[in-house]
Amino acid sequence: MKTAPITLARAFRLTAVAAAVGIALAGCATVQQSPSGAAEVRSKLDMLSADSQLAARAPVEIREAEAAVILAEQPVGRDVALGAHRVYLADRQVEIAMATAATRDAESQRSELSQARTDARLDFRTREADKARREATAAQEASGAVRAAAAAAAVDAASNAAELQRQIAALQAEATDRGLVLTLGDVLFATGRSDLKAGGTSSLDKLVVFLNEYPDRSVAIEGHTDDVGSVAMNQTLSEQRADSVKSYLLQSGIQPGRLLAAGMGETRPIADNQSATGRQQNRRVEVIIKNPPAAVPTASTN
Amino acid sequence: MPRCFRTRTRSQVYATTALAALLLLVGGCITTPLAPEIALNDARSTIQAAEKDDASHYANAELDEARQKLILADRAVATEDMVLAERLAHESAATAKLAAARTEAKKAAAINTEMSRGADALMEEMQRIGDQQ
Repeated sequence: MKTAPITLARAFRLTAVAAAVGIALAGCATVQQSPSGAAEVRSKLDMLSADSQLAARAPVEIREAEAAVILAEQPVGRDVALGAHRVYLADRQVEIAMATAATRDAESQRSELSQARTDARLDFRTREADKARREATAAQEASGAVRAAAAAAAVDAASNAAELQRQIAALQAEATDRGLVLTLGDVLFATGRSDLKAGGTSSLDKLVVFLNEYPDRSVAIEGHTDDVGSVAMNQTLSEQRADSVKSYLLQSGIQPGRLLAAGMGETRPIADNQSATGRQQNRRVEVIIKNPPAAVPTASTN
Repeated sequence: MPRCFRTRTRSQVYATTALAALLLLVGGCITTPLAPEIALNDARSTIQAAEKDDASHYANAELDEARQKLILADRAVATEDMVLAERLAHESAATAKLAAARTEAKKAAAINTEMSRGADALMEEMQRIGDQQ
C-alpha cells in the first residue's frame, strides 16, 4: 500500500522527464536550421536595404518584408511546407518592397525630369527674350540713324531751298507756272542789235552760276521785241537775241541740251508800245528756268 | 522525508503535466485551421484590384500565379485541407499584391521614359528653332 503511490509517482516522473527530454532534443535538432530558401530571401532584402536611396523610398514595405523574413527564418522542424510557405511570403514581401521603392524612385525622378523640361523651356524663353531685346535695340539704333539721316536730309533740303531762294533773289527771277522767269532787259542790247553789250552780262553770269548749281534744270530762252519795224524783222531780231544769250551760256559751259532758244517777235508785249518806257520793257529776253522734272509715276500701258 | 519527497515529486509531476498540456494546446491552436474565408476573400479582392490596374498587361506572370494559387486554395477547401487552403490564399494575395506593385513600377518607368523622350524632343526642337533664329 505504501509503495504503490511512489511507484505511480515515479512512473509519472519518468514519463514527464522523457517527454521533456524528447521535446528538448527535438528543439535542439531544429533550432539552428532555417527553412531552405530563407537565406536567399534574407540576402535579397539586405541588398535592397543596402541601397540607401531606394530603401528610403519604401520604409513601410521594407519593415513588413523584414518581419516576414524574420518569420521565414524561424525553424519549423519537420513542417517543411510551413517553412516553404513562410519563405514564399517573405520573398513576395521583399519583391513588393523592391517594386514599391522603384515606383517611388521613378516618381521622384519625374519631378527632376519635369524640372529639366521647365529649365529647357525657360532657357529657350530667356534666349528668345534676349534676342528680341537685342533686335529691338538694333531697330531703335537703326531707326535713330534713319531719323538722323532724314533730319540731315531735311536740313540739307532746307538749306538748299534757302540757297535756291537766295539764288533766285540774286537773279531777280520771278516764280511762275512755267518756272522761274528771268527777264533780261534791253540793257543787254542796243536798239536793232542782237549782240550783247559789254558789261551787261552780270545778270547772265549769275544765271550761269545758278545753272551750274542746279544741273537738273534746263532753260528756255525767249526773245521779244517792241513793235518798231516790220514783224518779220522783229521776229528775226528776237531770234537772234535769244540765240545770243544761248551762245553766251554755251560759252560759259552750259550743256546745249539744257538750252532752247526761240524768237517771239513783237507778239508778246508786256507793256504799251506807245510810250518809250513801254517799248523799252517790251524789248527783252526772258530766260525761263524750268522746274526740275518731278518723279512722275509711269502710266501703265495696259 | 518520504512524505516530503512524495509531496515534491507530485508538484513536479503536476507542473510538468500542465506544461505538456499547454504545449499541446498551443500546438493544437497553431495547426488547427480557422475558416480561411477571410484569407480567400482577401486574395480575391487583391487579384481584382490588380486586374483593375491592368496588371494583366504589365505583370501577367504574377497575376496568373496569384490566380492559380487561389484556384488551388479553393480546391484545398473542397478537400477540407484548411491549413493548405489558408496558406495558398495568403500566397495568392501576396502574389496579387506583387503583381500590382510591379504594374505600378512599370507604369512609372514608362511615364518617365516618355517624359524623358519628351524633354529631349523639346530641347532638340528648341535648339533647332534657336539655330534657325
